[in-house]
Amino acid sequence: MSMLSGSGRVLISHEDIDRAHDRQRVLAAREQRGFSSRLRLLWLLMGPGVLVMLGENDGPSMLSYAATGAKFGISFFIPFIVLTFVMAIVVQEMTVRLGAATHRGHAELIFERFGPFWGWFSAIDLGIGNFLTLITEFIAIRAGLGYFGVPPWAAVLSALAVLYLALMTHRYWTWERATLGAAAFNLVFVPVALLAHPHWSSVGHSLLSWGPLPGGLTKGTLLILLSNIGATITPWMLFFQQSATVDKGLTKGDIRFGRFDTVLGAALASLAAIGTVLATSPLFAHQMNAQNFQAAEFAQALEPLIGRLGASLFALGIVEAGIVAAITISTSSAYAFGEVARKPHSLNLPLTQGKAFYTVLFLCAAGAAAIVLVPGLPLVHVVLVVNVVAVLAMPPALIFLFMLANDKEIMDHLISPRWVNMLTIAIVVLLATAGLLFGISVLAPKVFAVFGGA
Amino acid sequence: MGTTEISAGEAEQGSEQLLSVLEPDQLTGVKRKLPRRQLNASELIVLWSLRLYLLFMIVVVIYQTLTAAQ
Repeated sequence: MSMLSGSGRVLISHEDIDRAHDRQRVLAAREQRGFSSRLRLLWLLMGPGVLVMLGENDGPSMLSYAATGAKFGISFFIPFIVLTFVMAIVVQEMTVRLGAATHRGHAELIFERFGPFWGWFSAIDLGIGNFLTLITEFIAIRAGLGYFGVPPWAAVLSALAVLYLALMTHRYWTWERATLGAAAFNLVFVPVALLAHPHWSSVGHSLLSWGPLPGGLTKGTLLILLSNIGATITPWMLFFQQSATVDKGLTKGDIRFGRFDTVLGAALASLAAIGTVLATSPLFAHQMNAQNFQAAEFAQALEPLIGRLGASLFALGIVEAGIVAAITISTSSAYAFGEVARKPHSLNLPLTQGKAFYTVLFLCAAGAAAIVLVPGLPLVHVVLVVNVVAVLAMPPALIFLFMLANDKEIMDHLISPRWVNMLTIAIVVLLATAGLLFGISVLAPKVFAVFGGA
Repeated sequence: MGTTEISAGEAEQGSEQLLSVLEPDQLTGVKRKLPRRQLNASELIVLWSLRLYLLFMIVVVIYQTLTAAQ
C-alpha cells in the first residue's frame, strides 16, 4: 500500500481511524444516485465554510452592523455588506482548495514551504490577534446576557461551559454538527429585522441602486467601512477553514462541495448581517446616538421600537455570535499551534492524546474570559481597536495565501485561475488603501482633505 | 503520542479497507515532507513591508482610540 512507510510499519492514530470512518460515509453516499443522495453528500461535506462565515458574524461584527444601521441607515451599507461577503468567498475558497489538495493546515503549509521562521511568525501573529478577538467575544457575551440581568461572572462561565461541552465529544463530526446548530441561531437577526418593520421598497432600492456614502468620506465613515470589512474577512478565518477542511478529511474530489459550503455560509451570514442593519435602522430613523452602544444598550434602545421579544432576540443573537466565535477562534489558535509545534492537532483526538491542542484551546478561551471580568478595563475601546486591527492584518495574511494558492509544486492543476488572482490582488490593494487612508485621516487631516475627505 | 504501531501484515489484514479510504497525506504517521521554497527578494520586500505597515497602523489605531476617548 502506498501509505506504508519504508520500514514496513504503519503508525495509525485515533484521528486516522475517525477520519477514515467519516470518509467511508462520504464514499458510500457518492455511490448512490438520485437527488436525495446528493443532498446527503452535501450534508456530509458541508461544515467548514458555513462555520467560518457564521463564526465571523461574531459579537463585535454584529455590533458593528448594529452601529452601521443605527448611525447611517441602509442606503450605502447593505450593498457594501454584500460586497464584503463576495470578497470573503473569493478568499475563503482558496483555503478549501489548499486544504483539500495538500491535507495540511494553513500554518503547517507556511511552516513546510517557507520555513520555521515564517511558520512560527504566522502562528504567533494569529495567536495574539485571536486572543484579542476572544476578549471581544466574551465582552459581547457578557453585554448580551447583561440585558437579562445575568451577572458578568455567570455569563462568562456559562459561555466557557458551552465551549468545553462541545469539545468533550472528541469527534470532529459531532463537534461540527453541534457548533453548526449553535451557529444557525445567528439567523435570529432576521426575525428581529422583521419586527423592525423596514420599508421593503427602500431595502430593494438600496440593493439595486447603491446610494452614496452618507456624510461623504470622513474619519468616522472610514472607521465604519473598516469595521464592516473586518466583520467579514479576518486572518483567523483563513487558518480555521483550511485546518477544518483537513480535519474533516476533504479531498480534491470534494472541492466543489467545499465551494458550495463556503458560498452557502456567506449567503447565510450576509442575511444575518443585513438583518442586523435593518433591525437597528429604527434608531437611525429616530436619530439616536448609538455610536458607543454595547449589546445591552442596543437591546434597551430597541425595546420601545420593536418590543421586548425583538430586543430579547437581539441580545440572545449577540450572545450566540460571541459563543460560536469563541469556539471557532480558539480552535483556529489550537490548530495553528499544533501544526507549527508538530503536535497532534485534531478534534478527533481524545484529551489524553491531544494534550497540547486542547491545552492551547482551553487557555486561550479561559484567559480571554478572565480578562473580561477585571473591573475597570476600557472594554469598549478594546472592541473598537480589535475590529479595525483585524482588517489591517489581512493584507500580510493574504500574501501568503496568494503565494500558496499559486504554488504549482503543491497545487498542481488546482492553482488559482487568473481571475481569482486579480480579485485577490484587488482585495489586498483595497484593504491596504483603506487602512492607509484611515492612517492619513488620523495623522494628517489636512492631507486627508486633499483626497476628498472631510 | 496517541498512535498505534502495526505491522504491514496487520495493516493488510485488519485495516486495509479502513486505510484505503484515506489519501496518502491524510494518514498522520506517513505524511510526506514538502520541499522548502525559498522566498525571492521581491517577495521578502512585500512581506516585510506589509508587516511594518501593520505595526505602524496598530499604533495609529490605538492613538486614534485614545484621543477619541479623551
